[in-house]
Amino acid sequence: MLAHMMAMESPLVEAEMVEAMEFPDLADRFNVSGVPQTTINQGAGTVVGATPEDYLLNEIKRALG
Amino acid sequence: MEKLLNESIRTQVRDVFDNQLKQPVGVLFFGKKDDCDTCADARQLLEEVTGLSDKLTLEVYDLDDHADAAQKYHIDKAPGIVFVGNDGDQMIDYGVRMAGIPSGHEFSTLIHDMILVSGRDSGLEQKTRDELKNLTKTVHLQVFVTPT
Repeated sequence: MLAHMMAMESPLVEAEMVEAMEFPDLADRFNVSGVPQTTINQGAGTVVGATPEDYLLNEIKRALG
Repeated sequence: MEKLLNESIRTQVRDVFDNQLKQPVGVLFFGKKDDCDTCADARQLLEEVTGLSDKLTLEVYDLDDHADAAQKYHIDKAPGIVFVGNDGDQMIDYGVRMAGIPSGHEFSTLIHDMILVSGRDSGLEQKTRDELKNLTKTVHLQVFVTPT
């Protein structure tokens, strides 16, 4: 999973795969409808679907501001 | 207790591990006693999977009884799973986590995560690695999935 690979690469990145049905409150909090959904820093950014490396990277950079 | 994984799956996973696991991996499981419908199965699943290779070790923690460990690894939900590099003297935390039981489609993610951490390398393109070096703030990624 790309997010886990990014966590491997950088000590600043932590990546958690969350099973949405077991944690529905968390999924609701971030408006999860389609999966996979990658939420960045508690909603600062959101990516729906599987994406190439540079796409997720750009969304991370945008979310960090 | 009936096994969760059948013989065919066990054989396949054992073969994959034999071929692809490199360095030892520690699997840290965080469960809790109440309000966790999937904790018992998640723990059993991890016991069965880690039993398929000598390079995998399993440590079982309770979110409440082992609050220090939970805090150290930023685990606030059960079942919670942390994959660390086991270097004998120390466990290397790469920030790779799962919350919830990795069943169905997510079972392959479980296996891949163990192989990923055992390789001690991200496998990312050089361009991505270079960009990640420029990060100055922490990034918390939560990837929501479903088993089907």
